[in-house]
Order: sequence, then C-alpha cells, then structure tokens
Amino acid sequence: MSPFLDMQFGDRIVTLMAALVLVLQIAMVAQRWIVVHIRIFAAQSFFLAMIAATIAWYNHAPHLYIAAVLTLVVKVTLVPLLFERLVKRMEIHEEIEPIVNVPLSVVIAGGLTLVGYVVAESFYRPEEPGLGHNALAVAISLFLIGFFTMINRRKALTQVLALLSLENGLFLAAISLTYGMPLIVELGIFFDVLVAAMVLGILVYRIRESFASMDVSRLRRLRG
Amino acid sequence: MIQRLIENATQLFLLLALAPLVTGVIRTLKARLQTRRGPGILQPYRDLRKLFGKGMVIPETASWIFTATPWVVFFSTILAGLMIPMVAAKAPLGLFGGVLAVIYLLGLGRFFLALSGLDTGSSFGGLGSSREMTISALAEPAMMLAIFTVAIGAGSTGLTEIAGAAIGQTWRFLAPAQMFAFAALALVLIAETGRIPVDNPDTHLELTMIHEAMILEYSGPYLALVEWAASIKQLVLMTLLINCFWPIGLQPTWFGFGALQGIGWLLAKLLLLCCAIVLLETVNAKMRLFRVPELLAVAFTLGSLALVSTFLF
Amino acid sequence: MLLIALLLIPVIAAAASFFVRRRAAMEAANVIGFGIVFLAAVALAGQVLARGTVSLANGFFYADALSALVILLTASVALVCATYSIGYLRDDQQSGALGDDASGAEQLARLRMYYTLTPLLVFSMLFMAMANNLGVMWAAMEATTLASIFLVTFYGKVTSLEAAWKYAIIGGVGLSMALFGTLVAYYAGHRLPGSESLSGLNWSVLAQHAAQLDKTSMRLAFVLILLGYGTKAGLAPMHTWKPDAYSEAPVPTTAILSTALLNCALYGLIRFYILTSRCLGADFPGHLLLLFGLLSMGVSVPFVLVQKNYRRLLAYHTIDHSGIMATALGLGGTMGSLGLMLHMTFHTIAKSLLFLCAGNVYQHFGTDLFAKLKGSVLRAMPLTGVVFLMAMLAIIGMPPFSLFQSEFLILRAAFDGGHLLTGVLFVLFSTGVFTGAILHVGGMVLGPGGETAVAARRPWRDGSMLALAAALVVIGFWVPAPLFQLISNAARVVNGQ
Repeated sequence: MSPFLDMQFGDRIVTLMAALVLVLQIAMVAQRWIVVHIRIFAAQSFFLAMIAATIAWYNHAPHLYIAAVLTLVVKVTLVPLLFERLVKRMEIHEEIEPIVNVPLSVVIAGGLTLVGYVVAESFYRPEEPGLGHNALAVAISLFLIGFFTMINRRKALTQVLALLSLENGLFLAAISLTYGMPLIVELGIFFDVLVAAMVLGILVYRIRESFASMDVSRLRRLRG
Repeated sequence: MIQRLIENATQLFLLLALAPLVTGVIRTLKARLQTRRGPGILQPYRDLRKLFGKGMVIPETASWIFTATPWVVFFSTILAGLMIPMVAAKAPLGLFGGVLAVIYLLGLGRFFLALSGLDTGSSFGGLGSSREMTISALAEPAMMLAIFTVAIGAGSTGLTEIAGAAIGQTWRFLAPAQMFAFAALALVLIAETGRIPVDNPDTHLELTMIHEAMILEYSGPYLALVEWAASIKQLVLMTLLINCFWPIGLQPTWFGFGALQGIGWLLAKLLLLCCAIVLLETVNAKMRLFRVPELLAVAFTLGSLALVSTFLF
Repeated sequence: MLLIALLLIPVIAAAASFFVRRRAAMEAANVIGFGIVFLAAVALAGQVLARGTVSLANGFFYADALSALVILLTASVALVCATYSIGYLRDDQQSGALGDDASGAEQLARLRMYYTLTPLLVFSMLFMAMANNLGVMWAAMEATTLASIFLVTFYGKVTSLEAAWKYAIIGGVGLSMALFGTLVAYYAGHRLPGSESLSGLNWSVLAQHAAQLDKTSMRLAFVLILLGYGTKAGLAPMHTWKPDAYSEAPVPTTAILSTALLNCALYGLIRFYILTSRCLGADFPGHLLLLFGLLSMGVSVPFVLVQKNYRRLLAYHTIDHSGIMATALGLGGTMGSLGLMLHMTFHTIAKSLLFLCAGNVYQHFGTDLFAKLKGSVLRAMPLTGVVFLMAMLAIIGMPPFSLFQSEFLILRAAFDGGHLLTGVLFVLFSTGVFTGAILHVGGMVLGPGGETAVAARRPWRDGSMLALAAALVVIGFWVPAPLFQLISNAARVVNGQ
C-alpha cells in the first residue's frame, strides 16, 4: 500500500512537523533579533498549515483544508509582512534583551514542554485511533511557552509575537483535539487574529513614537 | 580472530586516511562558496607530511604533560574511532559501555589538550583552555542526553546495537525523539569540532580562537599529531551523527562486495554532511563567546526533550 | 427578524458615521440608531416573555430570557450614553481636549472614530448575547476588545496609550485562555451526535446533553473560561487593566465598558456555568466562582479606601461589583440567581449614572483627583452633586435603593445555603467599600470648599444624566412587572430550568 495512504505514515509526518513547530517555538525563546523572531513565527505558522492539511487528508476532514489556507494567508503572509513593515518604519536596531537570561529561559521552556506533555496525557484515549496525540502535547507546550515568553520580554512587539504564537498553539490544539472547529468559528477566529495583529501593531507604533522606545517597563505612570 | 584483525586494520586505515580528506573537502568547498579557489582537497595531507619533517621547539616551562599530550590525544581519538560503526553496523572494537566509552575517550583527549594549553605558561594557552572547558561543560551533557536517547531507543549503549536498531525500522527517524536528538547532536557537533558559529578554525587572532589557542605552542611532529587527531575527532563525530540516525547503506557485515558499497555510502553521506557544515559556516558569523552558552542551552534542552519524549510517546 | 435588525442597525449607524461629513449628522446617526435598537430590544424582550425563546437560522441565533435581558440592558446603556456623549464631546471639542488645530480636521477625525467604533462595540456585544455557538460568542467578545482599544486611546495622551496597551495585552491573553476553554468544551461534547457540523458548539445543544459531556475536559474548560472571561469581567487577579482603562477612556465609553461589557463577560461565564453545573454538579464551578468573587471584593477594598482619583475609585468599585455578581453566581440556587439578575440590572443603571456624573465633574474641573476637588462639587454643579451622591449611596447598597434588595438577596442565599464564611466576608468587604466610597465621594461633594464658578449647563449631557437618575429612583420603589418577569425568567435559566 502506498505510504501516502497509510495512517501510520501520516501520524509520523504529523509528529515530525509538530516537533519542528516545538523546536521553532524554543528557538523563538532564544532569539535576539526581532526580524528573525517574525520569520520564525512565519515558519511556525507554515508548518501548522501543513499539519492541518495532512490531518485533513488522512482523516477526511475537508474543512481543515480551508483552515490551512486561512493560516497560510493570514499567519504566514499577511501578519509577518505587516510586522516587518512596522519594524522597518520604526527602524529598530537594538537586540531583544529578555528579563530572564537566554539559557535559563530555554531550559524553562523545556520544562514547560514537559508540563504540556503531562497535561496532554490526561486527554489521551488509546481507544480512539487517529492522528494528533503528540500534536496536542506540542500545542499545550506552545501555549505555555508563549505565555512565558510574553512575561519574559520587555519590548512591546515581541510581546505581541508571543501572544500570536500562543494562539498558534491554540490552533494546533483545535486541530488535534477535534479536527478543527466549525468553519464559521474558524473564520471568526482568523478574522479576529488579523484585526488584533493590526490593532496591536498600530499600538506598538504609537508607543514607540510617544516613548521613543518599545520598552514596556517604561509604561509605569498609571499606578494605584 | 583474523577477521577481527582485518576489520580493525581497515577501520584504522579509513580513519587515518579519510580524516584529513574531510578537512580538506570542507576547506575547499568553503573557499569555492566564497568564490575563492581554495587550497585543494589534498592540502591537509601535504601539511601533515611537511610538519612531520620539521624540527620541534618545546617551551622550557613545559612539563611531561606537554610532551605526552599529542600521543594521548592521538591514540584516544583513534581508539574512540575504532568503536564507531563506519562501514558496517558492527563496530570493530566493542569496549566497555559502547558509546559511553567513546564519549569518555574523546573527553580524555580534550582534558589533556586543555592541560597542555595551561602547561605552556603562555596566556593564550590558558585562554584557549578555559574557553574550551566552558564550551565542553555545556556541550557534553547535551551530547550525552542525545546519545542516551538513541541508546534507549536501541535498548543498549553498544554502538553496534544502536546502528543495528536504526537499520531495522524505515521511518524511525521521523519520531520526534530522534529528531530532537539529531538536532541536539548536530549543535554539539558544531561546538565540539570548533566550527563557526562557535569557533573559527581558520583564525589565529588571539581574541577569537579557542582550539587554536590551546595548541599554539606545538610545532613539528607534535603539531601534526594534534591536528590529525582533531580531524579524526571531527570524522568520528560526523560518522556518529550520520550512522546513528541515517543508517542507509550500513552493511550488516564487513566482508564481500558489501564492504565497498558501505564505503561508498559512507563517503556520500560524509560529503552531504560536509556540504551542510560548509553552508552553515558561510551563512553564519562567529558568535561572541558569551552567546555560545545560549546555543548550547538550546542543544541541552533539545537533548533533554529527546530523552523525555522517548518515555512519553 | 428582530435579531437581524438588532445586529444590522448598529452596523448601519457605524457606516453612516464613518461616511458623513458633519458632526451633527454623526451624532444623529448614533442616537437614532441606538433609539431603534432600544425599541427592538424591548420588542425582543416582549417576544421572549411570550414565547420562551426566540431562535433564528437553524439555531445560529438564540435568545432566551437571559439573552433578552442582557440585550435590553446593553441597548439602554448605549442609548443613554449616545445622548450623553453629544454634550460631552461637544464640550471636549470646545475646550480643546480633542486637539488644537484650527481647521478642526483632527477633532472631526477623532469624533468620527468615536461615533464609528461605539456602534461597532455595541454590535459585538449584541452579537455575543444572541449567538448560540460558543465559538462565535468568543469571536464577538474578542471583537469587543478590539473595538474598544482605540476608544481607550481616544485622547491620545501618553497615559492613554499605556492603559490601552495593558488592556490589549491582558485582554488578549485572557481571551486566548477563553478560546482554549471553548475548544476544550467542544472536545468534551464531540462525541455527541451531530457534532461535526455547526451545532456541536451550540450552547442549546450542549446544555440539553450536558450530563453526557466528558467530565475531566469540562473541568479544565470551566477553569480556563473562568480565567478568560473573568479577565474581561475584571475579576481579581486579572483586574489590573480596569482602573487604567476606565480612567483614560472617554466617560461614555467607560460607562458602556463598565456596565454593558461587564454584563456580556458575565453572560459568557453564566452560559458556561450552566453547562458545567449540569455536567459536574454545582459544587465545583460554584466554589471556584466564590473564590474569585470574594477575592475581587477583597482586592478592591484597600484600593477604594486609599484612592486619590475618583475615576479609578469607580473602576475599583466595578471590580467589587463583578466580584459580587460572581459570588452570586457561585452561590446558585433560586435566590442566588435571582439576586444575580437583579443586581445586574440595578448595577447597570447605577454604575452608568455614576460614570456620567463623574464625567460632568471631570469636564468642569479638569482634574480627576480628590485633593483638588474638596467639597466644591455641590457648589459648582448642584444638580450633578446631588445625583452623584445619590447614585453613590445607591450603589453601595443603601436602602431604599434597589441595590440594597439585590445584595440582601445574595446574602440570604449565602446564609441559607450554609456558606457562612462567604456571607461574613461579603459583609466585611462591602463595609470596607462602603466606608471608602462615602468618605471620598462625600468629601468631594459636600463639605466646605473653595470658591468655584458655577458650571455651564449642557442640555444633552445633563438631560440624559437626569433621565437615568430618575430611572434609578423609580426602580428602587417599583420595578415594572414585565421587567421583573424577564429578570425572574433569566434567573430561572441560570438556575438550570
């Protein structure tokens, strides 16, 4: 039987791509350049779209193809383009300095991945065949690592990117748990993500203009 | 008995002969990629021959460590190399602990090299030694974690069994544990062989060299031994990487036509890996020293993820 | 039909405001639009009272008593704030708070942004209340966040940016958690029949089959939803964006955010509470809600007692009240649910009135610090001062105002249900907030003050405020029977009937 029709092969491919997505997320934690950050996010979203397409093929869930295409359009093309233009306009040249130093954050990210696996174990039902058990663990890890990265960063744009990678994790969880959500929900979510990226981009730009820096630790005038 | 002897001798010959060739190929490819002509593939052989003919200058302040180190490094590396499956899945020498022995033998060589760097009494030697130790302190755990992952997958730390297990399953390398281990080991390979972005093997600027600084005081035959040992170590690590994860073409036994086929596959895979290394070196710039722990932390995390994921998947 | 109208009209109003040239046209579009929306909401309430539930498009839109109540409250607040904002923004334009350029183009642009985004905000809130699909509900909630971010940055000050950033990020993270919770809830129900299509996430379908949902997943889902929608509602410890956002946004927006948006966030929580309590029993969600509710009430006490800024005071007060409502939801039972619904209604009226008065004070005095206002409010703006004090007394639960009834009902529910600790803490925290509020606002309104000019009368502003004040007074004594019927029907929905 051709390997392309074999469920096991599909499972392996999905697992492989999920592992790549996880590695990219950890690479984002270790990153120092904003432009590379944006490109890693684009690559991650690309692999997510591929995972969606693979699961759509093997599980005969055609509405996932639409989700894959939406991901490609919104998260791989539009949002990174938007942010790269923003970065160019703001003429950012500094490196990202995380609050916790890089080796420690990478190890913490590894620890959070383990937590993600443990949580995903409770969802694992051996009697339900089908793809995506590993993908769920990666999805929860993405969520947790994205959350950690948001706290770990000072620059506004990197916080936004971490938030978007968090949502990537949610998308992966949706695909692997329930083969995506109903189409209209997916549409709504993608639209929201796009608008959110635009809105946050504008906010970041205005913060940079007012404070001459994207450093959000300077936003401390409102207290009590 | 005779068979074992022949296997050992063949592998020994391969190690000694291929190692400078690999170095030469990497240098020439890098030069060609940078639109230079390069020194030619056989240049390292000429360098070795030249060095063996030259006289030696030994610092007065050096002790027996300085003179012993080249021999220790050379023989420990060769011993480690004999334990790696290069052409056939069965490694010629199967010592205590398999892959652990390999790691420790390489570690022994590095230990002595670092000591000799300190032994010369020059500041460059000490600088190189401390840097080398820093990097290896981070790289070794990563390497061990990655190797253990593979060993757990194979059920034994013997390299023969590891390679044998890898041959059996076709899509095994698609498992995430293997992917992570491969990535971790690749990063460690860069660190251990002193390639960009960790260390620049072509430089002699005092502030940027690590490996070169440790062996700065060596000359003549000792330098030849040390450099040869370095290229053999590089070959050993590359072969380890290739044959543990992509064992296509590994023959079950040494004899027959298969052996030539095995050598052919080995050369092809080594060439592929050389191209990857060259690409990596050309595209990246050397990292500042205090950034290297970050890279190795990523390798460490990947290695631990690999290890844990063998239990969780 | 009504449902479609309720959705379309705000969109048309937004589009109209976006494309017209003159300020008066924008104001008219908003007021007329919200007027029609209000009438439609009343009509919807009537239909729901008569028929029980109204649904459309094969169950995509679904309005029962709970939705109808939330829609009615949202529509009323929107209408009042629209009329108020006419006077408020005209005053801002005159005083130069909107920008100083001579041609007025920048000011017009700001006004256009306000008059376009506000209907869109109301549209998303209405959509959320009538959406049956949990995922669409989430998308509408996210839309409200996005619509209101630029409303918070309306004045363009540095502090506005900071407030908007906190709002965006904390809201974004919270809503991601809510999305995760929605996802897990979908997973919990995905073995029910018909789940591959749209209806698998439909609340009405899930509520019917709630007992068959997967228990572990629902537990996780509820925790995530509580964290997520609780962020939007302002439950501690996710409340930190509230004081900043409320003190920086224009006052009518703050009124809408603190009442209608709070109601919508609670609406989301209530829907999931119903699902979870039917699946797991009322103990698990109830205890979690009590925890967060009492925590919010407790957290707000020190900030209300030691407060320098009256708009932030009102914001912490809102956090206190979301805590009260979460506690009421957690207590459950007939009394708890009735108390919750009554409190939601009365709080909407009182809190929006408070913010409108605060807006009046802010516009006249130009500052929101207590220290600079000591005692002068009554002198300078007698009407506003009286209404402010009255609304403050109302909201802290003083009889004979209506909030006393709802809070008393909640307390009774606590003691009757055996939650003694809850009751005691409730009284303790309410006392703390009572003290702080009376101290500060009383000191601001009454007492000896300096010489200040009497404020100018702004008919739109003061008129809408007075209308709302009248409603507050009337409601304390007499709740119109249909309204009370709607509220008790909504309470019955919450209680699971």
